[in-house]
Amino acid sequence: MAAIAKAWSWFRVNPWVLTATRPPVTLSLAFLTLGGFVAGVLFWGGFNTVLEHTNTEAFCTSCHEMKSNVFEELKGTIHYANRSGVRATCPDCHVPHRWTDKIARKMQASKEVWGHIFGSIDTRDKFLDLRRHLAEHEWARMKANDSLECRNCHSAQSMDVSKQNPRAAAAHEKDLFSGGKTCIDCHKGIAHKLPNMQGVPGWQ
Amino acid sequence: MRRLVLSAWAGAACLVAGALLAQEAPRLTGPEPFTKETPAPPMQRQVTDDVRRKRNYPDQPPLIPHAIEGYALDLNANKCLACHARKFTEQSQAPMISVTHYQDREGNTLGGVSPRRYSCLACHVPQTGAKPLVPNTFVDMDALVEREPRGR
Amino acid sequence: MDVSRRTLLKAQAAAAAAAVAGIDLPAEAQNLAAGEDIALKWSKAPCRFCGTGCGVMVGVKDGRVVATHGDMQAEVNRGLNCVKGYFLSKIMYGSDRLTQPLMRMRNGKFDKNAELRPVSWDQAFDEMARQWKRVLREKGPKAVGMFGSGQWTIFEGYAATKLMRAGFRSNNLDPNARHCMASAAVGFIRTFGMDEPMGCYDDFEHADAFVLWGSNMAEMHPILWTRVIDRRLSAPHVRIATLSTYEHRTTELSDQALIFQPGTDLAILNFVANHIIQTGAVNRDFVERHVNFRVANTDIGYGLRPEHVLEQRAAHANEAAVSQPSNFEAYARMVGEYTLERTAELTGVSRERLLTLAKMYADPKTKVMSLWTMGFNQHVRGVWANHLVYNIHLLTGKISEPGNSPFSLTGQPSACGTAREVGTFSHRLPADMQVNNPEHRKHAEGIWKLPPGLLNGEIGYHAVQQDRMLKDGKLNAYWIMCNNNLQTAPNTNAETYPGYRNPANFVVCSDPYPTVTAMAADVVLPTAMWVEKEGAYGNAERRTHMWRQLVNAPGEARSDLWQLMEFSKRFTTDEAWAPEILAAHPEYRGKSLFDVLWRNGSVDRFGLDETAADHDNVESRRFGFYVQKGLFEEYASFGRGHGHDLAPFDRYHEVRGLRWPVVDGKETRWRYREGHDPYVEKGAGWQFYGNPDRRAVVMAAPYEPPAEAPDQEYDLWLVTGRVLEHWHSGSMTMRVPELYRAFTGAVLFMHPDDAQKRGLRRGQEVRIVSRRGEIRSRVETRGRNKMPPGRVFVPFFDASQLINKATLDATDPISKQTDFKKCAVKVIGVAMTERGAD
Repeated sequence: MAAIAKAWSWFRVNPWVLTATRPPVTLSLAFLTLGGFVAGVLFWGGFNTVLEHTNTEAFCTSCHEMKSNVFEELKGTIHYANRSGVRATCPDCHVPHRWTDKIARKMQASKEVWGHIFGSIDTRDKFLDLRRHLAEHEWARMKANDSLECRNCHSAQSMDVSKQNPRAAAAHEKDLFSGGKTCIDCHKGIAHKLPNMQGVPGWQ
Repeated sequence: MRRLVLSAWAGAACLVAGALLAQEAPRLTGPEPFTKETPAPPMQRQVTDDVRRKRNYPDQPPLIPHAIEGYALDLNANKCLACHARKFTEQSQAPMISVTHYQDREGNTLGGVSPRRYSCLACHVPQTGAKPLVPNTFVDMDALVEREPRGR
Repeated sequence: MDVSRRTLLKAQAAAAAAAVAGIDLPAEAQNLAAGEDIALKWSKAPCRFCGTGCGVMVGVKDGRVVATHGDMQAEVNRGLNCVKGYFLSKIMYGSDRLTQPLMRMRNGKFDKNAELRPVSWDQAFDEMARQWKRVLREKGPKAVGMFGSGQWTIFEGYAATKLMRAGFRSNNLDPNARHCMASAAVGFIRTFGMDEPMGCYDDFEHADAFVLWGSNMAEMHPILWTRVIDRRLSAPHVRIATLSTYEHRTTELSDQALIFQPGTDLAILNFVANHIIQTGAVNRDFVERHVNFRVANTDIGYGLRPEHVLEQRAAHANEAAVSQPSNFEAYARMVGEYTLERTAELTGVSRERLLTLAKMYADPKTKVMSLWTMGFNQHVRGVWANHLVYNIHLLTGKISEPGNSPFSLTGQPSACGTAREVGTFSHRLPADMQVNNPEHRKHAEGIWKLPPGLLNGEIGYHAVQQDRMLKDGKLNAYWIMCNNNLQTAPNTNAETYPGYRNPANFVVCSDPYPTVTAMAADVVLPTAMWVEKEGAYGNAERRTHMWRQLVNAPGEARSDLWQLMEFSKRFTTDEAWAPEILAAHPEYRGKSLFDVLWRNGSVDRFGLDETAADHDNVESRRFGFYVQKGLFEEYASFGRGHGHDLAPFDRYHEVRGLRWPVVDGKETRWRYREGHDPYVEKGAGWQFYGNPDRRAVVMAAPYEPPAEAPDQEYDLWLVTGRVLEHWHSGSMTMRVPELYRAFTGAVLFMHPDDAQKRGLRRGQEVRIVSRRGEIRSRVETRGRNKMPPGRVFVPFFDASQLINKATLDATDPISKQTDFKKCAVKVIGVAMTERGAD
C-alpha cells in the first residue's frame, strides 16, 4: 500500500507529467485541435499500416514455421492455384475481417510470436507433434463464427447448385442450406494436411 | 471353313489396327520419326459426374467417378473411408466398401475395416475423359452368355 | 482326349468368340442364364506385371479371358490385386495386337529403308537366318546378340540362353533386368556368394520397423505395401521410415520421411553403421563368427564410354569391382568419418530424423526389414548401396530370421526366375554360375550334352554396351524380345536409336504390340503373351510359380519360346560352330541346332501324353514333346543339390508356387539360418554357404558423387520412374482404357516455386532439355509426387514423351546398371520459346 502511495507521489511531481497536465499558454485552440487530429491520423494510419502489413502472406511466411509447414502445404491445393487465379492468402482464412475480431485475433497472435521466439515448433517434427492442437484451435474458431472466413468468399446464397457436382450439390442442400452444418464441419484439411483424425466426428 | 473365318477375322483386325495406328501413333508407338519432338497434349480433365460405371466383370474394383484431389490418405486420415466405410454410408449415401474389405488375410471377418485395405488408391482409380488410344476388344461375359439362345 | 480333337474344339471356340464381336444382344433374352451358360473355367496364373508375383484366377469362356480376380489361395496376395492386376483380363485385347510378322520390304525383298509390311513366318525367318549366317560368317559370334527380359517365362529365358550361348556361341545375351536388378544381383553375389534374398514376404508380418531405401512401394509394389500397412496399423509399435529424394504416396503413409540430396544415401548408410559402432550396438559374436571385412576400390568412374572425361579422370575405372581384405578396425575408421553433423550437412536430412533412423537399427530388440528397389539399384554406386545396407544388418546380426531382413524388391515378374536364376545376363550361366569360369562352362556343357570347349568364355555385351556396339557397327544381328528398349534405355537419341537404324545392322523385335522399339526394327514378330502360353515365373521371394496355356494367341502370333526353337531349325552346327570343335567331335556334324539343343534326349524326354488334358499347349504340339517340362527339368538339374533346388515340374502346376531351395518337398523361407535352411549345419547358427568360408562380407565403401549434377544452365535434377497404373513402357496398360484414363499421359512433377521461378504454372506445356535430348510435357505441381525445389520427376510409360531421350547412360561401373534417377535438365515454357523465336 505504502509503495503505491510512494509511486503516485513520484508520478505527480514528475516534470513531464506536470507539463503535460498544465493548460497550454502559447498554443492556439485551433492548432491544438488540428494538430491533435493530424497526430491522430498519423498514429491511426501508422497503426493500421502496421496492422495491414501483418495481414499479408509475405508477413505470415516470413517465419520459417509458417513458410515450410502450412504455406508449403497450401501450395498444393485449390486455394493456391485454380482455374481463374482467384486465390486465398493466409489472412483471408485465418484473420477475421471485422475490426474488433481482428484486433482480438492479433492479440492472440502475440502467443504465436512467443512460440516463434522460444522455438516451440521450429522443426518439422515439433510442428507435426502439435498439429492436432493447432488445428483444433482453428476448427473451434471457425465453428464458433459459423465459418465466417469461408463465407467471406463462398456465399451460400450465391451458390448455383446446378453448377456443382451432384455429390456436392446434395450435401449442400441437405446440410448447408438447412443450416444443419457449417463449412468447417465437412471441409477440414482442404488447405493444409490433416492431423491425426482419430476421434474427430465423421472420420474413421 | 472355320480356318477361313478365323483368318478373315484376323485380317480385319489388322486393317482396323493399321488405320488406328496412323491416327494415334505417338502415344503408343512413339513419334515418327523417332527423333522428332511432339507437342504434349493438354492434361485431361477428371471425370466427376458421380455416375457409376459398369464393371467389366464382378471382381473388378469399381472406378471412382468423382474428384479426389487433395483427399487425405495418410497415417493421420483416410478421406475415402469418411464416406464409404459402413458406418458413414447412411449419412453420405456413398456405396459401402465391399464385405471383402472387412476380412483379414485369412478371410476372417473383422469388426472393422481391414488394415490391409487402407490404401484405397492401389485398386480404385479416378478417370479422365480421354478417348482410348485404341479400342479394346475385350468381350463382356454377358455378351457370350446371352448370345447362346440365338444359336439354339 | 487326342490332340487333333482338342485342337478342333479350340478352333471352334475361337471362331465363336470372333463372331461375337460387334453383335448386339438378342431380342429374346432368357429370364436368367444359368448352368453351363454362365459357367466359367477358372485357372490359376501369376500376374503379368511386377516382381511381387501375385496369384490371380483367370476366368475363361469360349476361348477368351473374360474375368480375373486375386487368388485367395495365393500366399503372396491372399485375394488382393492392384489396379493393374485387376485389369489383366484386358491386356491381351488391344485392337492393334500384332497378328502377322512384319518386315521392311521393297519389291518383294528386304530393304532396311522400306516400310514394314506383312510377311509369312517363313519369309521372316528366312531373311533372319540369312542375315545371322552372314554376320556369323563375316564377323563371328561377337557380332550377334539378343536383348531379353525379366518378363520372359523361365522356359523362354532358358531356351534363349541355350540358343545364344551354345547355338550361336555368343554371350551377347542380356535381359532388360540389367536396367532393373543388376546392382542387387551383383550385390548379393559379392556379399553372400549367392544371388537373391535370404528372407521372404513372411518377414512383413514379423518386423517391428520397415526402412524403405529408395522405394515407392505404395505405387510400385502396392500389394506388398498392403502387407506393410496391415502390419503397421495392426501393431501400434511398428514404424515405417522412408528415404527418398522426393515425397510420394509411400512417404504419406510413413512415420518418417527422410528426403535427401540425390546420391547421398550412401552417406546415410555409413552414418547408421557408424552410429551402431559408436553406441556399442555391434553384435560382436555374430560379426566374429560370420563376417569378413573387405574394402572396395574407390574412384571407380561412371560406366560411360571409355573416352568420356569422367572415365579418363577416374583412378579405378577399369578395376571397379576389385576389393581388398580388411578388418573391423579399418572399417570403423572409414565409417567414423560419417558423423551426425557431417551427414546432416551433406544429405540435407535433419539430425533428429537421422538419429531416429539409426536407433531403429541399433536397438537389438527392434526387428528391422530394409526394403529397396530402383532408388538403390539405378544408382551409379548401386552395388555399394546394396553392400552398405547389408553392412548394417551384418553388424547387428539382424539377418536371415523372421522380421530381420534386408530385402531387395524386384521390378519384373521373373527378374529373379528368368534373368537371374536361369542366367540370361551376359556373364552368367544357370544357378549363379559364370561364363568366364572354365569349370562352370564344363558343367553346363555336360548337362547340355554338348562337346567340351563349345561354350564361349568371354563375357558378352551388357545392355548399355549392346546399344553402344550397335551404334558403332560392331553388333550387327540383333534380336529384341519381350521388352521395349528404345523407350526404356538411357540416352536413346544418341546411343540407342542410331544403332537400330545403322545400315550395318539387322534388328528384329518380338512383341505382342507395335511398340516404339518394334516400329524401329527391321523385322517385327507377333508374340503370344501371358496365358496364351504355358509359363513359369520366379518372384522376388524365390517363389517359382507356373501357369497353363488358357487361351490361344490371335492370328499367327506365337510365343517367344516357339520362336526361339523354331528359328534354331534353320541352322546346322556347321553354320554356327567353329570347325575345330566339329573336327574334334564329328558326331555333331550336319545336325541342326534344333537337334543338338532340344532333341538332345533330355529336353525332349517327356511326351505329349504328359501335357494337361484340358489345356492346349501350342509349342509342345508343334514340336512333338512336352517342351516346357523338358526344358524345366534339364534346367533344374543345374541347381539341385547346390542350394538352388527346384521341386519336380508337375508339383508347380498344383501349388501356388514354392520358394527355393525346395528340399524333400519343403520350401525354404529363411536361407542361411539354422532351423530354417536345410543347407545349414546343426550348431552353426548362420552359414552363408554361398562363400567358401561360409561368411558374409562387410564391404567398406564411401560416398561418391553422382555422374552429373545440376549447374547454372541445367539447373534441375531429373528423376524418372513408374506410376501405379502403368507397367513400364505402357505397351499393355496404355491399351486398357480404364488404366489409360486413370493416368492418361506423362507429366513433369515440379515444385510450385520452381514453376513460378520459370514463369510456369500447372498444366502449361514445357520443354525438358538435357545435354543429350529433349521432350515436351506438361507441368504438374499438385500431383501424387511432391518434389522439393530443384528436383523434377517424369514417368517413362508414355511413348509420346520419351524422357529417356534426356537421361544419361551412366551406369554403376560394377553392375553396369543405368542410373535413371540422377541427371541434369532445364525446363523451359514452350510458349516462351516460341515467342522468343518470333
